[in-house]
Amino acid sequence: MSKNKKRLSLVLTSMMALSLALTACGGGSTNNENASGNGGKSEKPVELIWYTIGPPQKDMNMVVDEVNKYIQPKINATLKMNMIDFGDYTQKMQVKVASGEPMDIMFTSSWAFDYVQNARKGAFMELDDLLEKYGKGIKDTIDPAFLEGSKVDGHNYAVPANKELPAQEVWRFNKDLVDKYKLNIDKVDSLESLEPLLKTIKENEPNITPYAMIKDYMPVLPFDYIIEKMPMAVYMDTKDYKVVNILETPELKKSLETVRKYYKAGYISPEVATTTSVDDLYKSSNWFMDRATSQPMADNLWSASYGYPVVSKPASKPYIYNWSVMGSMQAISANSPNPEKAMEFLNLLNTDPVLRNMIDSGIEGVHYEKVGENRMKNLPESKNYDMPTFSLGNIMLNYLNEEDPDDKWEIFKKFNASGVNAPLLGFNFDTSKVSSEIAAVQNVKEEFWAPLMTGTVDPDEYLAKANQKFKAAGLDKIIAEAQSQIDAWKAANNK
Amino acid sequence: MRMAREFFGNINKNKVMLFMVLPGTLWFLFFSYLPMLGTVIAFKEYRFSRDGFWASIVNSKWVGLDNFKFLFTTNDAYIITRNTLLYNAAFIIVGLVLSVLMAVVLSEIVNKKLAKFYQTGMFLPYFLSWVVVGYFAFSFLSSERGMLNQIMGFFGAESVQWYSEKKYWPLILILVYLWKAVGYNSVVYLAAIMGIDKSLYEAAMIDGASKLQQIRSITLPLLRPILTIMTLLAVGKIFYADFGLFYQVPRNSGTLYSVTNVIDTYVYQGLKSTGEIGMSTAAGLYQSLVGFTLVMFSNYIVRKYDKDSALF
Amino acid sequence: MSSITRKERDFHQLSKPLNVLFNLIAGIFAFLCVFPFLFVVIISFTDEGALARDGYRLFPSKWSLGAYRYVFESGDMLLRSYGVTILVTVLGTIVSLLFMSFYAYAISRKSFRYRNFFSFLAFFTMLFNGGLVPTYIVVTQLLHLKDTIWALVLPLAVNAFYIMILRTFYTTSVPDAIIESGKIDGAGEFRIFLTLVLPLSLPGLATIALFSTLGYWNDWFNALLYIDDPNLVPLQSMLMRIETSMQFLLQNSQNSSLSIEALRSMPQDTSRMAMVVLATGPIIFAYPFFQRYFIQGLTVGAVKE
Repeated sequence: MSKNKKRLSLVLTSMMALSLALTACGGGSTNNENASGNGGKSEKPVELIWYTIGPPQKDMNMVVDEVNKYIQPKINATLKMNMIDFGDYTQKMQVKVASGEPMDIMFTSSWAFDYVQNARKGAFMELDDLLEKYGKGIKDTIDPAFLEGSKVDGHNYAVPANKELPAQEVWRFNKDLVDKYKLNIDKVDSLESLEPLLKTIKENEPNITPYAMIKDYMPVLPFDYIIEKMPMAVYMDTKDYKVVNILETPELKKSLETVRKYYKAGYISPEVATTTSVDDLYKSSNWFMDRATSQPMADNLWSASYGYPVVSKPASKPYIYNWSVMGSMQAISANSPNPEKAMEFLNLLNTDPVLRNMIDSGIEGVHYEKVGENRMKNLPESKNYDMPTFSLGNIMLNYLNEEDPDDKWEIFKKFNASGVNAPLLGFNFDTSKVSSEIAAVQNVKEEFWAPLMTGTVDPDEYLAKANQKFKAAGLDKIIAEAQSQIDAWKAANNK
Repeated sequence: MRMAREFFGNINKNKVMLFMVLPGTLWFLFFSYLPMLGTVIAFKEYRFSRDGFWASIVNSKWVGLDNFKFLFTTNDAYIITRNTLLYNAAFIIVGLVLSVLMAVVLSEIVNKKLAKFYQTGMFLPYFLSWVVVGYFAFSFLSSERGMLNQIMGFFGAESVQWYSEKKYWPLILILVYLWKAVGYNSVVYLAAIMGIDKSLYEAAMIDGASKLQQIRSITLPLLRPILTIMTLLAVGKIFYADFGLFYQVPRNSGTLYSVTNVIDTYVYQGLKSTGEIGMSTAAGLYQSLVGFTLVMFSNYIVRKYDKDSALF
Repeated sequence: MSSITRKERDFHQLSKPLNVLFNLIAGIFAFLCVFPFLFVVIISFTDEGALARDGYRLFPSKWSLGAYRYVFESGDMLLRSYGVTILVTVLGTIVSLLFMSFYAYAISRKSFRYRNFFSFLAFFTMLFNGGLVPTYIVVTQLLHLKDTIWALVLPLAVNAFYIMILRTFYTTSVPDAIIESGKIDGAGEFRIFLTLVLPLSLPGLATIALFSTLGYWNDWFNALLYIDDPNLVPLQSMLMRIETSMQFLLQNSQNSSLSIEALRSMPQDTSRMAMVVLATGPIIFAYPFFQRYFIQGLTVGAVKE
């Protein structure tokens, strides 16, 4: 009796273990087949797997079905679209790419899933020939500065989105307060010139933070950085391309002293060195001024989303940096079985207004309706399909919103034309020889940067201290390596 | 031949037990040992190959111990090692004492309903992510609107810039850790206490032992095996730091780095811009090796005194 | 049965002053633990504007249901996530308890010839792991679990740490004599395990079950790695995704496209707290259920004696 029972339970458990293993093996096998299977056959439509950035959308599948109906007759391909939210994108893509997961197209940029590094590590397919053969439309439509500026070691590895090209720093002001105290913001042209305005606000409005600043703050300085927020740069007007340690420059010292003065005068929150967001100040309108990176018509956008008027004054020229050129790109995966189709799709995405608007705003009549020739209005359903517009290719094909001016894209083009090339545009530092030093220097940076830049600590004392620690961590070695790479790049490009 | 027969004989004798470890062993094989082969990238400069992961590994070039260098080259190496070890030692010791204390207290409280209520309450911190805990620490410690400074102001004390005063942070971090962990950890000890044979206490009662004497001479000695195991396991993790605790709670404040930078935050900061997976694997391997050495050593000592409580 | 427990309680009675002291210790600590959570609940019911104006307050100047309205607007998404979380938690707890209780029992028995080997096999995995990418490859390319519910269940099914704790519970709470007596009665190993060992080690099993349940309920990382399909995302993962993405957008606000994106899609403080409440509430109410098991395990054990 007991023996039988024993056997029974043995059988039961083994069956359970087996069935677990089986279901485990069976589950997701469909995923892999489509990528490798129908590579060359032309009669069957190719499925392109696309990973892009942004929160997943409820109506995604519905829209993609519609998109497929539109693109299949044109390029004989269909789309499988996956959204990964902003915060997870870099990590998830790193794992996917490192493990060789099948995919065709992916979003990349200077700020998420780093374009230059991953191009160098071999994540993306080189696109020079593909662009020539299947991407003619892209080359004709988008500002050539994008393709030129996003070359890595002389080759293109991704298709940049046609959008604002330069980055311009501005000072923003809470207009209600400007009007209330009849302040003259026209005279603002430097950090120092802000002092009388800040003083007025501080004296009259005890509940207002005069200068809303976060820990990432950096003064506007005439430098083009080798790596963002690392203290090595060349001067904007450099002729000899000499890399300087900005901690040793008079420009930085002067700015830090001014910020320190503002900090001590109470113009800046005492907790700025650990503040990652001043969103609560914006919401409650308890701020007077701050600094931001602008784009055309940004004042309107800001005012609309805060619910009160915001005005801005330029704090720098519009410069075209590597990072601003590489702000939003779509790359083709190095392991894509159908790179030609992928390029054909990207070409369509950047040239065909119907497709571009469908991917961006959803289905006409469901998510939006047209109210003019190239003007649209969001319908309530648009909350189920709300995509980050700037990440999905050429934004200048997009229909205008109701409140947009007729010449919105003209203004963008004018802004792009006004951009001044930063000296290091097109140069990308290869960090592989100094990655240990960079890891150490990053840690020093985290320790000293925010307190110094926000005026929380006394620059007279801490600037030297920081510099010493940076050097101990290997900053000089990185600078030397950068200098030799820049010299080689300069010689090769006749700068 | 004889050896083979003996081997199969042994297998046969132990077949039920072997069968019981089978599912777990398979799991370890797939989810632990197979992936461990990938550790080889700690010695490589990893570059992608379009033919998948193994091709990438094979094609990447060997770099010897280069990937480990960033952990040892600067003064910070000493600071992060010290911080990681000292904080974890404090967590192990103080955490152990308080969790056991709390378990004993909960098990002895007369009103069981109240005890249940307390226990449920102590569990709540476990559910809050470090990000949320970070917000609370801030609402408490913020120099402008923080509760602590308001209370201190009420009593006429100077307000403190908590996020730039190093000296308070070892204490703050230990307190926050205990707050989050004690309730959770005490469950293990509480369950162990409940498993104790009740007749032991009855016998002690008859001998006239007071409650405190019973706790000292019955409860605590019988908890020793589980205490030993929990400590040994914690020693194995001594070189891993809880990233959220050390990153979110001090709000990544630079001025506090000399007392808050631990190996996990160091690796995160150092690699977030270059994303070299060879270097992060190297850091993980280093952590494992240190933990492994320490735990083997402590296990050796435990074995000498109390063979049954040792890990193996 | 109830009379037995009552009698026992008398035996164990704590002296009055000591009882008061113990209540104070546990009560104060419990209050400190509950308080922040209470705060979360209050913030989730605070008016967004009032929060921005006055900061966190115990008694906000204006209450509001806005946060919950906002969260529920994504209605079926949230319900689905609840469903996924509950399914994964129940399934996972069962699977992991089976795997681990067997494994731990085998290595707890002195008669098992290979116990040291299997103990070490388990223990070693606590210290060494293969890292993210190799594990990802095994799960997606060898086991093909990507975008299945098993990708959320199996990676957490076995935990060497819990196995070691369970092993200790078996050795301490199950006397060898009981197993020997079972053998003399002619019971096989399985029968001994099921009828004699399991009931005696219920408090230990309940503890591990509780840890497993909480582990599955709180897990977001496996979903981040293995799930692309938005319909299979558990609750904590959704919460975490919103949280990390918000932090990311804020930290990259010098990029003008991103800062405008952040303004557009930023979830409010209050809605985030509302999500914490929604994600934690059910499991807190499930917790007393486990406690009942502790007590039951205790009384069953007592009766058996």
